[in-house]
Amino acid sequence: MRLFTFQRAANVDEAVASGAGAAFLAGGTNLVDLMKIEVLNPERVLDVSRLDLAKIELREGALQIGALASNTAVAEHAEVLRAAPGLSEALLSGASPQLRNGATVGGNLLQRTRCAYYRDLGTRCNKREPGSGCDAMEGWTRMHAVLGVSDNCIAAHPSDMCVALYALEAMVRVRGPAGERDIPIGELHLLPGDHPEREFSLRPAELITGVRVPIDALAARSRYVKVRDRQSYAFALASCAAAVQVEGGAIRAARFALGGVGTKPWRVPEAERSMQGRPPTRETFARAAEIALRGAAPRRDNAFKVELAKRTAVRALMLSAGAPS
Amino acid sequence: MELPNRPCLLAFCAKEPRFQEAFRAELRALGAPLFAFAPGSGTVFGADDEPRDIGAQPELWRIYGAGGAALTVVLLDEKQRIRLRREAPEAEGTLLAAIREAGRAVRAAPRGIGRRELLVNSLAVALGAAVLQACASARPAGVRKAVSGAPPLIDVSLVVNGQPRKLHVEPRLVLLDALRENLGLTGAKKGCDMGQCGACTVIVDGQRVNSCLKLVAQLEGANVTTIEGLVQGGQLHPMQEAFLREDAFQCGYCTPGQILSAIALLQEGKPKDDDEIRERMSGNLCRCGAYPNIVAAIRDVAGRA
Repeated sequence: MRLFTFQRAANVDEAVASGAGAAFLAGGTNLVDLMKIEVLNPERVLDVSRLDLAKIELREGALQIGALASNTAVAEHAEVLRAAPGLSEALLSGASPQLRNGATVGGNLLQRTRCAYYRDLGTRCNKREPGSGCDAMEGWTRMHAVLGVSDNCIAAHPSDMCVALYALEAMVRVRGPAGERDIPIGELHLLPGDHPEREFSLRPAELITGVRVPIDALAARSRYVKVRDRQSYAFALASCAAAVQVEGGAIRAARFALGGVGTKPWRVPEAERSMQGRPPTRETFARAAEIALRGAAPRRDNAFKVELAKRTAVRALMLSAGAPS
Repeated sequence: MELPNRPCLLAFCAKEPRFQEAFRAELRALGAPLFAFAPGSGTVFGADDEPRDIGAQPELWRIYGAGGAALTVVLLDEKQRIRLRREAPEAEGTLLAAIREAGRAVRAAPRGIGRRELLVNSLAVALGAAVLQACASARPAGVRKAVSGAPPLIDVSLVVNGQPRKLHVEPRLVLLDALRENLGLTGAKKGCDMGQCGACTVIVDGQRVNSCLKLVAQLEGANVTTIEGLVQGGQLHPMQEAFLREDAFQCGYCTPGQILSAIALLQEGKPKDDDEIRERMSGNLCRCGAYPNIVAAIRDVAGRA
């Protein structure tokens, strides 16, 4: 790890005021890891882990989750379990108990890809070194994305939590030099396009202070299904957060987001609309999954993900709808 | 000043060291020169020669970042690469113990190993051990200066296994290295050093965490429990006893992490079955594959609670 200057922010205002050019450090499970392997080399690290942002509460029809709430705290919170079980399931499917104790919601929102080439300084990576090329393209791509890819980057988004938050249409609250604003979670993460090094829509010195998850009948039905190479403690090959609300034998509303297959968590409004008014059957869900995977661009080792993602989506949707699978 | 093209030791002492005859005898046996510096003076102790005055050499203090501790000791190999750099809160005893131990290792070594490499390795091991020992038994040092040009060192107070400890460290130091290198608590193990294996698991403020990913700088006032802190009144912790009883390890490297993780697991809630134990222990890998007996040990303690 390279040397850096360490500072501690006493409050959010101070963090924002001195945040330009610094890396905000919370739980450290992602940032410290990447600093150790010298993929990220901030010259100044601003410790925000002691800020008063760890509260989780149900208020104004939404779960208000502080950015510093640990993944464990969110996953085990009674209101989360009741009002958005899919979020809890997603969190508990990720990492290990030790990592979930350290990892925060804010950090998880900004989690960096696990692309092996991004993490290996001996290879070319457009995300790590803009314009240097991408060794993943002709490399081992089993863990890479098939959706949202560009000629410059095929790195998969690693977070489980974010997939659930996409399906739940969460809002991300940030504070910056220009004040506070809310970012729909779908707009927080950027597609790689020509600039894979630009990963987030955050402006300089903006600090994530919390997440707002609207709570309704749909959120209460949310579920998360994750498929991976081993049963526990592994990143997703494909995952799906789904929420289906059925009334009188027909789907009233349905949302789903896919993980492990996109360069960001993947949601397709057209696929969701295709389910409306239809019976909650395998056929309905399979059609929606088909639409969601349109445009998939697999490479040598990850073509299986297209079918796997469809089946994972169907399973999650069936589970949420309470349909026999 | 030119340093020799063979292994040598540099010792930067905050105060003029009193080198006694015993010390020089050890050095002779070792066969590596020692360059000892104090503010305003420098002396080289050759293997056979009488001590020679070489002047204060402020440039060397700067190059090797010395001056922050009572003793900064640097071991260079024949190509003048730094093989070890350590700081200790006490100079003479530390250095003497290290050189004596290294000399013993060199004399006891089998033939056929390159003498220079052997010398360097022996010195590195002995110095590391002696400095660690000195740090473990030392009182906290006063305010130290940082290496010029480098970010300032920071002060952190922790409670480790019930003992208040003060550290004056680089911001990049992680808890695992602070425990092992600065505090002499080598129970927490370095496996992957990237948060994947769980060998470094310790309990911080009641929660199990990977100490390899936790900057000490963030832990002001934290309460840390390591495997060394589990024995109460000479009695092993019930989880330690269960691991022994159930033969829940083979090589033992992952065991401290396994035990702390298992203790935290039970504090978090009683598992309903073996599958739940396995899932909730997924952050602790065991390359020997002692999993069935690890699960048995945890099941056993859970059943007694």
